[in-house]
Amino acid sequence: MKKIGILSLVLLLLTGVLAACSGGGSEKSSGDSTDEEVKLTWYMIGTPQKDTKDVMKEVNKYTKEKINATIDMKMLDWGEYNDRMQVITTSGENYDIAFTSSWANNYALNARKGAFLGLNDLMDKYGKDMKKLIDPAFLEGAQIDGELYAVPANKEVGQQAVLSFNNELVKKHNLDISNVNSIADLEPLLKVIKEKEKNVTPIATFDAYLPFDSILQEELPFAFRLDGDTDEVVNKYEEEITMETLKTMHEYYKKGYIQKDAATSTDSWPLETPNWFVRKEIYQPYAEDVWSRSAGYEIVTRELHEPYIFNNSVTGSMQAISATSKNPERSMMFLNLLNSDEYLRNLLDKGIKGTHYEENEDGTIKDLPARVENYNMPSFAIGNQLILKLYEDDPKDKWEKFEEFNKNSTPSPALGFYFDSNPVRTEIAAISNVTSEFSPALLKGAVDPEEYLPAFNKKLKEAGMEKVLDEIQKQYDEWKKKQ
Amino acid sequence: MHVLLGSFAFMCIFPFLYVIIISISNEQSLAENGYQLIPEQWSLDAYKYLWDMKAQVLQAYGVTIFVTVVGTFLSVTVISMYAYAISRKQFKFRKQFTFIAFFTMLFSGGMVPFYIVMTQFLDLKNTMWALILPMAVNAFYIIIMRTFFLRSVPEAILESARIDGAGEMRIFLTIVLPLSIPGIATIALFSTLAYWNDWFNALLFIDDPNKIPLQSLLMRIENNMDFIKQNAMLSNQNSAILKSIPQDSARMAMVVIATLPIALSYPFFQKYFIKGLTIGGVKD
Repeated sequence: MKKIGILSLVLLLLTGVLAACSGGGSEKSSGDSTDEEVKLTWYMIGTPQKDTKDVMKEVNKYTKEKINATIDMKMLDWGEYNDRMQVITTSGENYDIAFTSSWANNYALNARKGAFLGLNDLMDKYGKDMKKLIDPAFLEGAQIDGELYAVPANKEVGQQAVLSFNNELVKKHNLDISNVNSIADLEPLLKVIKEKEKNVTPIATFDAYLPFDSILQEELPFAFRLDGDTDEVVNKYEEEITMETLKTMHEYYKKGYIQKDAATSTDSWPLETPNWFVRKEIYQPYAEDVWSRSAGYEIVTRELHEPYIFNNSVTGSMQAISATSKNPERSMMFLNLLNSDEYLRNLLDKGIKGTHYEENEDGTIKDLPARVENYNMPSFAIGNQLILKLYEDDPKDKWEKFEEFNKNSTPSPALGFYFDSNPVRTEIAAISNVTSEFSPALLKGAVDPEEYLPAFNKKLKEAGMEKVLDEIQKQYDEWKKKQ
Repeated sequence: MHVLLGSFAFMCIFPFLYVIIISISNEQSLAENGYQLIPEQWSLDAYKYLWDMKAQVLQAYGVTIFVTVVGTFLSVTVISMYAYAISRKQFKFRKQFTFIAFFTMLFSGGMVPFYIVMTQFLDLKNTMWALILPMAVNAFYIIIMRTFFLRSVPEAILESARIDGAGEMRIFLTIVLPLSIPGIATIALFSTLAYWNDWFNALLFIDDPNKIPLQSLLMRIENNMDFIKQNAMLSNQNSAILKSIPQDSARMAMVVIATLPIALSYPFFQKYFIKGLTIGGVKD
């Protein structure tokens, strides 16, 4: 009797599952033709906006006419995007396009896992227009073993760290920043600020700049040097330059130029509050104007190094097509439009003309309150930035400057080398733990590097540092041969 | 003893008082002096800020209340019926059904299978059901309720009811339920709290900003803050990210309005609560 009860239950459950399985009809991909209307699901990063529905109505009118497809854009908030996409990917859910990058919904990892489609052929067929516009450095640098797995947004291709200064204070104390080229050069200026400005923290907490191309995350120890022997992977925390830089930072900390709780502080140092003198930022052409505008006072910058093209900068913002997509061709057509069609790109970014922005006679635009409140989109994450309309207070040559900046960026030695961390997963997890224990305090100057760096490196060794370095070196050498 | 208990109670309530104090502090003085028990300047700006986004907050409130009410009702109904059935000796498959419920306490499929079942088999993405169903049945409460029925409803009463010609349903509704009010109230309170405080299901299944419950709204802000901490470089370039983060006092004000109603409702449950737990805690 007992058995029959359980058996019938199992049967009941099974039939339920089978019924559910057969429910999903298997639609065929429509391929080349655009006769059949399709709906594309697009996962985007960013805070959901009130007016997205209205804007998407307009977008869909246009895309329906152009490629007979409608777009269902789902925005997932910054802090959630990564976790949500992980679940969606693991569960094999069907979607078409998703934002991916080196810092959220990890590009290299997902591409290796097979979560994204390889796009080389699709791009040649349906992405001709955007291929002309996107800087080749992006298309080459983002390839993993010769295949591109997502469409990079065209923007600044190089990464350049700069020191930016609160110009009000520079002028007030007649400081000369023209010979500041490194963190060490700041000393005399910080001294003045510390003495004369009681309510200002001279340094808005930042991680010291170190001249390496990091493998995986920025704070992890594995890296390639940018000059000298660039073909050897090193532990950047054992390098001479790191010791020197961190000593300088700790000097500053001891002198009170850096906040006491720098190591654990979560302060985001909003620009609007002028309680700082110098900070570290990542530059793009005319960034100082943008910063000055949001700060409400002038901000000036000094570069710390020439712009380099890193893996992280070419994969900073991309759109991938899912391996589970039923309409990869149509998705590619949409991405092509998004990155080459000025009307569509601006509509998604700035909203509806007359509602969210006004256009002047010379083609420049001005935001209306509705955009700031109800349609504030993360411009850099959507697609090609160089076809966006300029604001009336933007310099006329803004996009030309971007192109110039891109031309002058130097590829890093390891550009295009994507390390496959699977063989040493456990070691990397252990190293990550050690790193998160030591690196914040060290990089922000809160502890003495002469004492803590050796201890840190000893723990890294125990966590299996050598094994990981060997694995990276092996993969790098193989990759280098193919170049 | 009283002093001990009193100080313990104060320790429990103190963090919450602190949250209230921060929520009515002036943001400027928070920035300058950090959190203080007695801030230099009081201000209601945080609540003004919430008032300005009242559309979103009220919407989230509505979702939370709806999910809590419907969810609690559903889960009490299902749990008490299930528990009653397996508490009755006449029910043939009592052991099997007890085992099925008990089994889920020991083993679960894990998050990804759960997600697949919810989204692909049941197709519940972006629906209220996605917030209600996952927590509707709780095996542990079923076991508690079953024991409760066994203890508090004597077999003799059911016998006499049956002799008077009452059917199973009627017995359950008019005799068993009134006798088990303490147990039911206990389960109801647990469910209410669970539904009110749940944010995880919304994180998994809801993309539509209009269907976000209150706790998820808070959780989103927390997640965004963590994100900014990890990607400071990124957020400096994109003020859009920073704009999504309210200030300290406003965050605390959100905590206050999210927690206060449920904290205030507790005393109403308390008198049942004391009885319910002790009786349900015995397993036979």
